[in-house]
Amino acid sequence: MSVAGLALHPFSTPKTLDEALALLAERSARAEKTVLLAGGTDWFVERHVAPAEEAGVLPLVVDVSRLDALRGIAVEGETLHIGAAATYLEIRKDARVAARCPLLAATARDVGALQIQARGTLGGNLASGSPAADGVAALAALDATLLLRSIRGARRVPLAGFYTGYRRSVLAADELIEAIEIALPPEGSPFAWRKVGTRQAQAISKVAFAGLAVVASGRLARLGLGMASVAPTVALLPATRALGLSKPLGEVTDADVEQAVLADVSPIDDVRSTAAYRRHVAVRLAQRFFGELRAL
Amino acid sequence: MAPSIGTSVPRVDGPAKVCGSARYVDDLVLPGMLHGATVRSDVPRGRLLGVDLDPAFDWTGITVVTADDVPVNAVPLIESDQPVLARDEIRHAYEPVALLACEDRLRLAQALRHVTLRVEPLPPVLTIDDALAAREAIRGADNVIKRYRITKGRGGAAVEGCEVVVRGVYETGWQEHVYIEPNGMIGWWDGDTARVEGSLQCPYYVQKGIKGVFGLPDDGVDVTQAVTGGGFGGKEEYPTLVALHALLLAKKSGRPVKLVYGRQEDVEASTKRHPSRVEIASGCDRDGTLRAVSIRVLFDGGAYVTLTPVVLSRGALHACGAYRWEDVTVEAVAVATNTPPNGAFRGFGAPQTIWAIERHLDRVARTLGTDPVALKRKNLLRLGDTTATGQTLKESVGVEECVEKAMAASGYVEKRERGPVVTGRTARGVGAAIFLHGAGFTGSGEKYLKGKVAVDLLPGGRARVRTGSTDIGQGTETVFRQIAADGLGIGVENVDFAVPSTANVPDSGPTVASRTVMVVGSIVDAAAKELRARLEAEEKARGATRSAAWERLAADPARATSLVQYEPPPGVVWDDATYSGDAYPAYGWACDVAEVEVDLDTFETKVTGFWAAVDVGRVINPTLCAGQVEGGTLQAIGWALTEKLVTKDGKILNPRMTNYIVPTSLDAPPFTTTLVEAAYSRGPGGAKGVGELPMDGGAPAVAAAIEHATGLVLDRVPMLPEDLFEASVKGGAR
Repeated sequence: MSVAGLALHPFSTPKTLDEALALLAERSARAEKTVLLAGGTDWFVERHVAPAEEAGVLPLVVDVSRLDALRGIAVEGETLHIGAAATYLEIRKDARVAARCPLLAATARDVGALQIQARGTLGGNLASGSPAADGVAALAALDATLLLRSIRGARRVPLAGFYTGYRRSVLAADELIEAIEIALPPEGSPFAWRKVGTRQAQAISKVAFAGLAVVASGRLARLGLGMASVAPTVALLPATRALGLSKPLGEVTDADVEQAVLADVSPIDDVRSTAAYRRHVAVRLAQRFFGELRAL
Repeated sequence: MAPSIGTSVPRVDGPAKVCGSARYVDDLVLPGMLHGATVRSDVPRGRLLGVDLDPAFDWTGITVVTADDVPVNAVPLIESDQPVLARDEIRHAYEPVALLACEDRLRLAQALRHVTLRVEPLPPVLTIDDALAAREAIRGADNVIKRYRITKGRGGAAVEGCEVVVRGVYETGWQEHVYIEPNGMIGWWDGDTARVEGSLQCPYYVQKGIKGVFGLPDDGVDVTQAVTGGGFGGKEEYPTLVALHALLLAKKSGRPVKLVYGRQEDVEASTKRHPSRVEIASGCDRDGTLRAVSIRVLFDGGAYVTLTPVVLSRGALHACGAYRWEDVTVEAVAVATNTPPNGAFRGFGAPQTIWAIERHLDRVARTLGTDPVALKRKNLLRLGDTTATGQTLKESVGVEECVEKAMAASGYVEKRERGPVVTGRTARGVGAAIFLHGAGFTGSGEKYLKGKVAVDLLPGGRARVRTGSTDIGQGTETVFRQIAADGLGIGVENVDFAVPSTANVPDSGPTVASRTVMVVGSIVDAAAKELRARLEAEEKARGATRSAAWERLAADPARATSLVQYEPPPGVVWDDATYSGDAYPAYGWACDVAEVEVDLDTFETKVTGFWAAVDVGRVINPTLCAGQVEGGTLQAIGWALTEKLVTKDGKILNPRMTNYIVPTSLDAPPFTTTLVEAAYSRGPGGAKGVGELPMDGGAPAVAAAIEHATGLVLDRVPMLPEDLFEASVKGGAR
């Protein structure tokens, strides 16, 4: 409806992570709502269609996008460490990501377009919890671990255990996502990234597929899969993973993959696509990936 | 002085737009100005029982306007059936019911939440089939807005006696214009004079609307065009309503009021391309000679008549395509539904019927086992042929050359003979469309319009063009300067273009119908040449240099200006009663070839190459002309592949740019555009219209290419991946 009321939102820019965590703790103790603002690529856009704001009932908007503790990309041992507020642009330009985690680099290049990539973050993508989140699909395939922090301390939650339902997660009201940790696959590990959108850029995925595998003597030693827009949360495709790890690759047939994927996804008809089409594309993209792996 | 026509003079309006110094309506601020907003219904049909203002809300400083405040509550158009604000009846889900204005935009937005409409819902009519079934009557007894019938020879009944009879049904959906700048107007009152400035194509249309609603004389209304960020027909009739709303609020508040739509409101409430269904039965010989055709054209007009009769007319007149038929019946019907009124959109009814006839001839070719282009070429209209309305084509038919050029540039024939190229899970194919577009108003339209243009000599060797034809991004300012410069024999840098304002420019007719260059440009040309003759006479009579003659004329108000009125070409005869005769003074012609790559797993279609050869009569400005062709084609590709308006119970579910999907620059194929010049004797330098023509061919060319690549036959736009998938499930997928 309007962005005329933006200025009504109480706004805070903490200087340090500790300050931000203290603020979150205080507010959650009083059951007051807080919006953590990273890139703002969802939140600001939604203001245009949200009802006009009325003062007094608005959540506090806390800008965490410039907190050093949430920025930065590092490789420690065989772990890739990405700050929750690192932008897609920083990720796609990072040489270590390109070399060791090309799946994530490919995803970062495909998200929105340059303007979105310059602002958008993996932390924001995770926290907003959209089942269409491209970045989360890639993190699912990479079996990322999320480092969550509050004044009570830090904890590590595997992505597989993060979401509890449509736009719901285990993130507590006083917690924020500090970083994403990825156990790096061996260099040259095969991967797939495919965003099936409506156009070449600036599109929300109808289906997005991420896959990562480590192949050793005809079998999969590691298999990660993630799929967006096919379930209430980004799907990790457990049945398909189990299938892939259960027998030699040569014995995994297209029919097996189809059966497993159909057990793993539960897409819906919505304004962007149809359930039938999404089921079809989900199966085909997974079959393609398995085909590529078999052909190695 | 080297002629300017034929050279790519840079767009005069370009630098200010690129640098951000151009002032669009939303950039304008008047002292004391209020912001306006529109309260709309949210059911598609119902009885309006009341408009309630929440007594708990502080209404101080908020102006409220309802139907009670409207002097004459009807927007003057073909039929004045559309209220300025609804009083008793709700006829679509975004019907304006009340208006609010406030200095503070936030309070205005809040106030909108505190207006409640009491509406008793009625069962809505939402589709063409609903309307034809007439279980609910929302217009007359049969819901019909307009009918036309065109017949030639023995009529469509002759189909049945033909050797090969082919039938098909072809459909198209809504299309939203998605001009960069949404609709917007500022209105204010200067004593009894109404003034508006805003985003518009046709200042005199807006003036007419204001005169009618407020009962004002010509000089009681001044309409000025602000810099306008695109129109595509979407700012032909719709801005009148926005201007009326701004003026109503201004009248009641006594302050200037700015009313600028957000994107969502613009997509929801403003006009869109008419959805259509076209049923065709055709007959031909076994060798592919087309003989007879029977065509039924159905358009969804939406809730009010607006421009639907003329859109339907153009659709009907283009329904037979660029081909020769001996026996023809075209039956065209537009119906009313409880959806926002559909209106003018680049192509104006022709893209729907050209889509149908092109897809149909592809089907005929499939039946005969021949290549579609071979079939179409065999039956192309030529000089001396007569169209469905009995018009004999006397000049400027460049279609054969267009086909040759497009075939050669694209390698169509070789690519078709080689068959689709399947690499892994992608398939590549090519397809073509051949089409025409009538330039200028239909039939007798230009005779009634009596378009006028003034060219002034100014001191210092400068000249100025004054016209009601607006630049909405297509380049009017630039090409009119070129035409005037050549007419006067001066450099284009010495010609100014007056800001279109009804107080200052004559009525040149609307900026629509591909008429700006061909019709209005010819008036510019005539006015400039008349001044040149005056200058030459002055030189001869007074024995002075050209520049001395120029300064003398420029200083003499009686001789400085040439005001010329359009002279319709002699011998153009049109009969509205029988719908026969010369439908258009001239036609643009074109051949498009599209190459696509289809992912056989995801059914995504990527247009990988596009070759257009277009007969425009004469190219005034090659860069701008090719820009029209490529931009129009990309708009057609969007209509073909991604632009689907999703509705439920009369409401639009995807009124945002994030879910109503127009192509981006990454979706644009590499274009190879060839401009063909089969001169039209009455156009400036031989020029015909080009604005709408490219909208007609993109969709059928892409559909033919998809069919070549995949074997999937699609007869409805848009052709989304979901539609290809569905078609493949039904059979025929590679």
